[in-house]
Amino acid sequence: MLRPRIIPCLLVHDDGLVKTVKFKDPKYVGDPINAVKIFNEKEADELIVLDIDATVQGREPNFRLIAQFAAECRMPLCYGGGVRTVEQAKRIIGLGVEKVALSAAAIEDPTLISRIAAEVGSQSVVVVLDVKTSLFGKQEVWTHNGRKNSGKSPLELAKEAERLGAGEVVINSIDRDGQMKGYDLALARKIREATRLPMSVLGGAGSLQDIGALIKECGVVGASAGSFFVFKGQYRAVLISYPTPEQKDELMNTALPSRAAHA
Amino acid sequence: MIRIVDYGLGNILAFQNMYKRLNVPVGLAKTADDLSDATRLILPGVGAFDHAMEELDRSGMRARLDELVLGGKMPVLGICVGMQMLAERSDEGKLPGLGWIPGDVKGFKSLNQPDLLLPHMGWNDVRPAAGHRLFNELTTDARFYFLHSFYFECADPAHVAAVSSYGKEFSCAVSAGHIHGVQFHPEKSHHFGAQLLKNFAEL
Amino acid sequence: MSQQNYRICANCIMDTSDAGITFDARGWCDYCNNYHDNILPNWHTDERGQAEIDAMVAKIKKDGEGREYDCLLGISGGVDSSYLAYLAKEKFGLRPLIFHVDAGWNSQQAVHNIERIVDGLGLHLHTEVINWQEMKDLQLAYFKAQVPHLDTPQDHAFFATLYNFAAKHKIKYILNGGNYSTECVREPLEWAYHASDLVQLRDIHSKFGTRPLKTFPQSDIFTYKIYYRYIKGVQVWRPLNCVPYIKDEAMQLLIDKFGWQKYAHKHYESRFTRFYEGYWQPTKFGYDKRRAHFSSLILTGQMTRDEALERIAKPAYDEATIATDFEYIATKLDISVEELRALHDGPKKSWRDYKSRKSLIDVGTKVMRAVGIQRGIIR
Repeated sequence: MLRPRIIPCLLVHDDGLVKTVKFKDPKYVGDPINAVKIFNEKEADELIVLDIDATVQGREPNFRLIAQFAAECRMPLCYGGGVRTVEQAKRIIGLGVEKVALSAAAIEDPTLISRIAAEVGSQSVVVVLDVKTSLFGKQEVWTHNGRKNSGKSPLELAKEAERLGAGEVVINSIDRDGQMKGYDLALARKIREATRLPMSVLGGAGSLQDIGALIKECGVVGASAGSFFVFKGQYRAVLISYPTPEQKDELMNTALPSRAAHA
Repeated sequence: MIRIVDYGLGNILAFQNMYKRLNVPVGLAKTADDLSDATRLILPGVGAFDHAMEELDRSGMRARLDELVLGGKMPVLGICVGMQMLAERSDEGKLPGLGWIPGDVKGFKSLNQPDLLLPHMGWNDVRPAAGHRLFNELTTDARFYFLHSFYFECADPAHVAAVSSYGKEFSCAVSAGHIHGVQFHPEKSHHFGAQLLKNFAEL
Repeated sequence: MSQQNYRICANCIMDTSDAGITFDARGWCDYCNNYHDNILPNWHTDERGQAEIDAMVAKIKKDGEGREYDCLLGISGGVDSSYLAYLAKEKFGLRPLIFHVDAGWNSQQAVHNIERIVDGLGLHLHTEVINWQEMKDLQLAYFKAQVPHLDTPQDHAFFATLYNFAAKHKIKYILNGGNYSTECVREPLEWAYHASDLVQLRDIHSKFGTRPLKTFPQSDIFTYKIYYRYIKGVQVWRPLNCVPYIKDEAMQLLIDKFGWQKYAHKHYESRFTRFYEGYWQPTKFGYDKRRAHFSSLILTGQMTRDEALERIAKPAYDEATIATDFEYIATKLDISVEELRALHDGPKKSWRDYKSRKSLIDVGTKVMRAVGIQRGIIR
C-alpha cells in the first residue's frame, strides 16, 4: 500500500539556508547543498526547496543552484520560488527536478497551472498555499512571503488547483511556521475532505508524534517540516536529522493500523 | 554502452548520475546515429501518453529503436510513461503505443474509487515475481517512488514482473524476454533504484 | 625527497616525507624517542591518571555549582569527542554543554553520530553555523595559495568559536578530545601549519580571498592560548590522557551503546577533510597524514608496524569515491572540475611563502615545553 511521505522543506534566502518563525526573522542555518546531500544520504522520501526571496524581489529562479540541488538528489525534488512562466517551469524540470511549485503566480493567474501542466504533466505541478488566520479566525491565503493577502480561502484555491490540473497541493500554515507545536490538523482535514488531490502539509511539526497525528487525521499524506529536521533541542541548535526507516515504519503502523494489517 | 533515449522527456540527468555513481558508463541518444554503439537502452518518459509518443516520433529514433529491440533483441528498460509506451494503446490517449509488449494502459480513474487520490504519488511496496533478475537483491521490502495516474494491464500474465497495490493490485513492472518496463522511478528511489538500475546493466 | 635519501623509521612509519625528521643509531626517529623520553614518563592512565581525574572533576564541579553547565565539550561526530562526551557524563558525572561548529562540510555520519550522542546521553547542544559564503571564499583562497594546510579555515573557526563562546558565557572549562593514544606523533608543521596563526590566515585571505570576513570567527594563538587561559581563566583539559584509551574499544562501545556509525578513517566526519587528507595532500604534496596517525597507534600498541605498512601502501580511499568527491568539492567551492584540477596540478607552496608569526609562536612553544604544558613535538 502507498506510504505517507515525510518531506523536509528547505528555505533558501540569499543562497543560504534559513529558518523562519511565522515567516519572519530568517535565521541562518548553513549551506543548502550540504543539507540536500545529507538528506539524500539519509534517504529522505522527497525534498521541497523554496526560494523565499525570488517572488518578493521579482527575480528569476536561481537555475544554477537548482541544478546543483538536483544533482545531489536520488529522491524526488520539488522546487518553488519565483516561478511565473511555462518556460521557467520547463527549464527547471529539465535540470532534473521532479516537481515545480507555484504560489503567487498561480493565484494571480490560475491558468498558469493548466498551461504548465500541459507542458510537463500534471504530476509535476504543485500549488503551495501559505495560510494565515486573521484576527477574526478567517483563514486566507497570502503570498510574497506572507506579506500580501490574496483574500481567497485555501479551500477555494485548493479546489481550483485540482480543477485546473495540479498534481499536488501543499498547505503551509504561516501561523504555525517555526513553532514546532503541531500541525494545523483542522485545516488539513478541511482540505483533505474538499479535494481528491494528493496533499502535503507544512508548518508546525515538532516531533514524530505530530507527524503521526497528521497521518492519523488525513491518511496517506505528505508530512512536511522545516524546523523539526533542522533544529535540535531547546537552543534550536542546527543539526540535520531525519527518521530512520524503522522509525518511519513504526510511525506508519501506529498511525494507520489498517495498513499494518494488510502489510 | 547503455544509451538513454533522450527525446526530451524524463529525468535524464538523474539516470546519468545514478549510473555514474555505480561506475557504469552511460551515454545519451538524441538521434538514430547516437544509438550505433548501444548495447542496452533506457526509455524514460513523463507526462501525457500521446505527447510522449509524438515526441519520440519527432526525435527520428523510432524506426531504429524498433529495429534494435524487435529485430536485434537489445535489452530495453522503459521507465514510467516509457513503460506505458511499450503497450499497444493507452486509455489516456489516441495514438498507438510501441506495441512491444501486448497490453493496454488503463486509468486508475476507471476503477471508480472516489477515495483514491490521483496521481498515485509516493513510495509504495513492490512485490517482484520470483527469481526475476531485474529484482536481484530486491525481493523483500522493496519500495520505489511512483508518480502516475495510469497503469499497464498485460495481455499475458507471464509478462508481469512485479506488482504493487493502489486501488487494486496492478503490474508495476513488466518483462517480455529482453523488453522490460517499470512504472516507478528507479532514478529517484535511493538505493532500491540504484540496485534495480545496476541489475538492468548486468542482465 | 629523492629516492636515494628516502628513509623510514625502524620503529614507526614516519619517513623522510617529513623533511625535518632525524634518526638515531638504531634507525628510530625523533618522534619515537620523544615519545619514550618525554611523553611516556608523564602519561599516566593508572591510579595516577585517576587521581588527576578525581581532582579535576571535583574542581570543575565546584566551580560550576549553581550554573547550568560546568564545562563545554566540542563535538565533531568523531570518535574522540564522542567518547569523551560519554566519559564526561556517565563516568565523571559532569554537566557539559555540547558544542558543535558547522563549517558546511558535515557528513551524514557526523550528523547522525552527534544526534546519537546528544540523545543517548541526554545532553544539550549548541551549534555555531559558520557563514558558508565566507568559509567557501576562505577555503578557495587557501587552495589558490597552494599550501598544504587546507584545513586551517575549519580548524581556526572551530577554535575561535569554542574559546570565544566559553569566555563569553563564563564557562571555565573546555573538555578536549586530544589524546596521546592516537596523536602522540603529531603531523609536522610542513603538513599542518598552525591553524591559529591569524597573521597567515589574513595574509592568504588578502591575497586570494574575494569577500571580507565579516562574521567568520577569528582569534589568534596568543589570544586563545594566553588571554583566554590566564586572563579569562578558561582551561582546557584532555581527560582522554588519564584513562586507558584504546580507539577500537572506544568505538565499539559507542556503536553498542549509541548506535554510532563508523568512519573509514580518523577525521572523515568532514567530507572535506576526507578529500584533503586522503587525496589532495598525498597526491599533490606527498604528505600522508595517516603516516602520523598510524605511527601513533604503533607507539601505543594499537597497530603493528606491518599492519601500518600494509595499510599506508593502499590509497586512503578508492578511485571512484575520489572522483565523486573531486566533483563535489569543486561544486561546493563554486569552481569547475577543470579549475580544481589545475589548482591540484599547480605549484607547491608552503607556510613560508606567506606572512606568519612563526618565530613568536616558536618562542611560545619553547616556553610551554619548558613549563611542561606541551609534550608533543611541534616541528
